[in-house]
Amino acid sequence: MSQNADNAVEVIDLSKNYGPVAALKEVSFSIESGKYFVLLGPSGGGKTTLLRLIGGFIKPSAGTVLLHGRDVTDLAPNERPTSMVFQSYALFPHMSVAKNVGYGLKLRRMRKAELDERVEEMLAMVGLEGYGARMPHELSGGQQQRVQLARSLVLQSDVLLLDEPLAALDAKLRKDMCLELKRIQEKVGITFIHVTHNQEEAMTVADRIAIVAGGELVEQGAPRDVYERPVRRFTADFIGENNLFDGRVTKTGGNAATVDLDFATVQALNGNGLAAGQAVALSIRSELLGLLTPADAENGGLQTIPAEYLEEVYLGLTTSHLVRLPNGQEIMVRTLSNGEAAATFEPGQTVTVGWKTEAARLHPD
Amino acid sequence: MMDTYANPWAYRAQWAYLLIIVGALMAPVFYTIYISFNEHGFGAQIYDFTWDWYVVLFRNQQIIDSLSWTAYLGAATILTAVPMGLIAAKYYKRTRHKVVFVTLMLSPLFVPADILGSALLVYFKNLNRAFEWLGDSLGVTWFYGWFELGFFTALVGLILWTVPYAFVVILITMSRYRVQQTEAARSCGATAWQAFWQIEFPQIRVGVFSASAFVFILSFNEYTRTSLLKGGFDTFTTVLISHMFNTGMSGDSYAMGGLVSVISMAVIGAVLVYTLAKAERLEREARAKAEPVAA
Repeated sequence: MSQNADNAVEVIDLSKNYGPVAALKEVSFSIESGKYFVLLGPSGGGKTTLLRLIGGFIKPSAGTVLLHGRDVTDLAPNERPTSMVFQSYALFPHMSVAKNVGYGLKLRRMRKAELDERVEEMLAMVGLEGYGARMPHELSGGQQQRVQLARSLVLQSDVLLLDEPLAALDAKLRKDMCLELKRIQEKVGITFIHVTHNQEEAMTVADRIAIVAGGELVEQGAPRDVYERPVRRFTADFIGENNLFDGRVTKTGGNAATVDLDFATVQALNGNGLAAGQAVALSIRSELLGLLTPADAENGGLQTIPAEYLEEVYLGLTTSHLVRLPNGQEIMVRTLSNGEAAATFEPGQTVTVGWKTEAARLHPD
Repeated sequence: MMDTYANPWAYRAQWAYLLIIVGALMAPVFYTIYISFNEHGFGAQIYDFTWDWYVVLFRNQQIIDSLSWTAYLGAATILTAVPMGLIAAKYYKRTRHKVVFVTLMLSPLFVPADILGSALLVYFKNLNRAFEWLGDSLGVTWFYGWFELGFFTALVGLILWTVPYAFVVILITMSRYRVQQTEAARSCGATAWQAFWQIEFPQIRVGVFSASAFVFILSFNEYTRTSLLKGGFDTFTTVLISHMFNTGMSGDSYAMGGLVSVISMAVIGAVLVYTLAKAERLEREARAKAEPVAA
């Protein structure tokens, strides 16, 4: 068993079963101290189960949880050096904001003067100075989440667990709170583990992202790596707006592979050591695809496939163009909304979709 | 509040209907109280106000003793049935087998009082015999009388009768409680007991108090099970009913009935006043604290 005290959290072969249903399947990973770690994945994938296992709110069926090298698997939540921010409804409604924030300190029998000072400091940190006398129901959703954050941070725990803390907030507030969370984490310097199904939220705050789905840890890495260089097909499908094609490697040479997609043959980088004959998925992010003019297509250097233009969806900053490939598959091409793309193509028109060879990624699974 | 598009006469008719129903239910009760203050008793042509029937009542040692036993039984029932109802309600929130659990919890209510009372009577008699046999076999007298009819057996009958009500009343209050608050408290360092006592209990306190009042009234008014299981002592209700059976209704019977009604209404009224006053105080405090804060 690895026990590295430099890691704030180490999870080893952690499993959780509910009867015949495996909510988590032998998950192992570690989180370096002081990092903002995000568990990202679809609903029901096991990320909240994983967070609650780390917090001690449920007991694992198998496996070990180490916090700073100490085995806490059998400890209750109040015996672990963690604190938690919940999605909603977790403020104590019969206590004022100040009493909510000071609750944990009161349990530690801190002197009142010191407690009041710490509470004020923490309310200031989350931007709620002067709100101490208010009751939770007098606060907005965003303010309530800030109070929860203050209540957890005031305890100066080693690890802060955040279970979809922004899910109940509107889009604008969520964006603001993301930046706020990141700023606070950098200021206090403790390890944050944040569960979310929102990619933008994850990319905004994370030092590292772990993709959790189907009770497994699919893949983890820095946000840029996970977004730009996904290893697993699931990650490519889940993160960003990727177009996925099933195919088979027909030829390899150097660091390139030729892939037969049935309706076209294309080149891609062979970063995974794939062999000829192997079934693969090829992924290309929609923003790396382009709708080419005949002149562009003839210039060479690009992988191209013919398609039928279907429609455009204007999204403000970007415009999504839906096209149909010869095999009937519909894919998305995304361009910056500069006002030109919309005028160029008509529904039913034959277009050429192109991309740079290095933009495509191959996934053997 | 009335819907602005609703027919005002339909709205008034609903209130009239409600008042008629309540009036029909409560009129005999108030009439009993009214009669209990008539010096000439029920059916007299003239009405002269008097406290005499109540004076007679409270000079009657049997009544005083029965009131004491009733109070002891009520207190013991509250102390056992309410915590049991609370634990059951907490378990209900956690279990996945909610329908089965509720059916089991409420099953004592589906059995008629005389059937349940007589079944318990037979059960205790047999249990008593079994323990006496065990004592005889072991050559000790220590097991004698454990399950002889008395305070304990009457209490068991009342617990079986009142726990389902306590469970339902507490569950209604508890349904608004979010378990995340308990987890948040644990995450702040609270033990399971601290999380319950400091966070959950203050939010379900009204339900627990209401359940206590309800349990007390149920135990105070219960006749069938108590009369079958009480053994040698009397409660106020058993005295009242045996008095009615043996001597018919008299002035002091009406006084006894009036007393039961007044006590019941006083307990319920106290709980209602407390609950409403507390809710109003909390709202007033909340409004006072909600003054705008300079950003």
